[in-house]
Amino acid sequence: MSALHFDTLVWHWPIAIYLFLAGVSAGAMFFAVLLKHFVLKQNAYQSGFIRAACIVAPVAVMAGLGILVADLTKPLDFWKILVFYNPKSVMSMGVLILLIYQVFMFMWIGLIFRKPVDAWCESRFPIVLKLTALLARFEATITGLLVILSLALGAYTGFLLSALPGYPMLKNPVLPLLFLASGLSSGAASSLLGGVLMNGKPNDKEVHFIHKVEIPLILVEIVLIFTFFMGLVLTGGQSKMAAFNALGYGFWGWIFWVGIIGLGLSGPLAMNLFMTTTSKRKWAYVAGTACLSLIGVLLLRNFILYTGQMTIA
Amino acid sequence: MENSKRRFLKGTCALFAGATGASLLATVNASEGAKAESDIKYAMIHDETKCIGCRACEVACRETNQVPEGVSRVRIEQTGPFGEYPNEYYHFSRVSCQHCEDAPCVNVCPTGAAFIEKETGIVSVNAWKCVGCQYCIAACPYKIRFINPVTHAADKCDFCRETNLAQGKQPACVEACPTKALVFGNLKDPTSELVQVLRANPTQRAKVALGTRPKLFRILAKSGEVIL
Ligand code: SF4
Ligand code: SF4
Ligand code: SF4
Repeated sequence: MSALHFDTLVWHWPIAIYLFLAGVSAGAMFFAVLLKHFVLKQNAYQSGFIRAACIVAPVAVMAGLGILVADLTKPLDFWKILVFYNPKSVMSMGVLILLIYQVFMFMWIGLIFRKPVDAWCESRFPIVLKLTALLARFEATITGLLVILSLALGAYTGFLLSALPGYPMLKNPVLPLLFLASGLSSGAASSLLGGVLMNGKPNDKEVHFIHKVEIPLILVEIVLIFTFFMGLVLTGGQSKMAAFNALGYGFWGWIFWVGIIGLGLSGPLAMNLFMTTTSKRKWAYVAGTACLSLIGVLLLRNFILYTGQMTIA
Repeated sequence: MENSKRRFLKGTCALFAGATGASLLATVNASEGAKAESDIKYAMIHDETKCIGCRACEVACRETNQVPEGVSRVRIEQTGPFGEYPNEYYHFSRVSCQHCEDAPCVNVCPTGAAFIEKETGIVSVNAWKCVGCQYCIAACPYKIRFINPVTHAADKCDFCRETNLAQGKQPACVEACPTKALVFGNLKDPTSELVQVLRANPTQRAKVALGTRPKLFRILAKSGEVIL
């Protein structure tokens, strides 16, 4: 059995990338809302990190959807997913969440950039000002729903896989939580990376805030991964087999121990602790840590998707 | 601020209430659908003790349902040989859709292209509605679904719903079987051959622990090997 091609493999890496991008988008929006409300308040649009999040989130979610559509055997029929719904199907409900999420995402981004947008449109398209004023009236509602929708989107990426009863490793109640947590941290990492690439400074208060949230988040992720595999082992039977097949040896074993546990989780955890205690933040530290997190999450998606399909019930 | 917070809370509560209500309604509808059941529920038996592994079923199915080369709706899986010459024997088991009562493929399908026909209990695919996301293929615990290379839609055994059954005949594989190892019939008709055979023999269904409630029964032949 080869690591990337085997009989029971149905969903390939495009699905992992789709799950990754959906998680990045959800996480970026989640942290953007947190940053605005707890750190920046007004004038949030001037922050490079908020700007990065507002670019990353829409691009990621749309690219993800694009990949999902391209991966269908009938890509031109994708509109049928939008027309026919099945309330029992996680994918169907997920597409619904994705659509509503995007509406609220764009409304929130519009609100963030209200000042510059209003200034620019004042003489040119005065009608836009009415629109932004209307949005501003519902700011709290929009923000609240955006937070809920981003969490739902992050969890959905896990539920999509845990709804597959034929694969004991994927049919696992911890999976949605694990994907939610790792999706949030990938969103934080992409905002940091995009932020320092734009006009953000590695010592800005946004970075301090995100790093402070990231430390417990990474610890939670480690606990969830541990629970995930402990649950499989204690369930016994094919579930235990699945856990051993995934972790034990070979290509995916390396990916897990070196790529995910080592580079993706321990690396950023150590760097975050180091940066918090020494309060020395260099451009390369922040960007490097963010890259490690992103690579770790991308590997985790692929690892779970592939090893999850290796063992059947 | 206080006001907008309250408005937000109210809005969210309403949303949740609405969502819960809608999903409750959906479940109620589903169980009502089950109550108003018809008196037909098709099932199949594969008597492995009669199967000689001739694969006439595979050929007949391909012809009748125009199944392209490279994919198949039914396969006979052969293991062995077991025993000593001259008493060697093989074991044959049928690999095809189990027509689950609680079908994972139907549950996960985003468009409803994978569906259970209410009148007959047959699990089938609406090829036009299918977008080819392959979610059902991943969800099926029996790994018998495939993408039809001609229609690009998910495909599998449908008890010949659109071919032989529609013409009032028995499924093609059943008709073709020279040893009458396949029995097809109505589970709800106590006089049917299917029910008679089910009553008279110990039968087995695959992976019942998953809660799929399959409707493909097998009368086991001696397996020839011990797998722990
Ligand atoms: S055996 Fe597979 S394809 Fe057939 S009804 Fe069950 S889940 Fe669906
Ligand atoms: S491949 Fe077709 S039948 Fe299967 S889940 Fe997707 S849309 Fe439904
Ligand atoms: S019942 Fe019909 S579709 Fe199913 S395996 Fe037999 S011949 Fe093929």
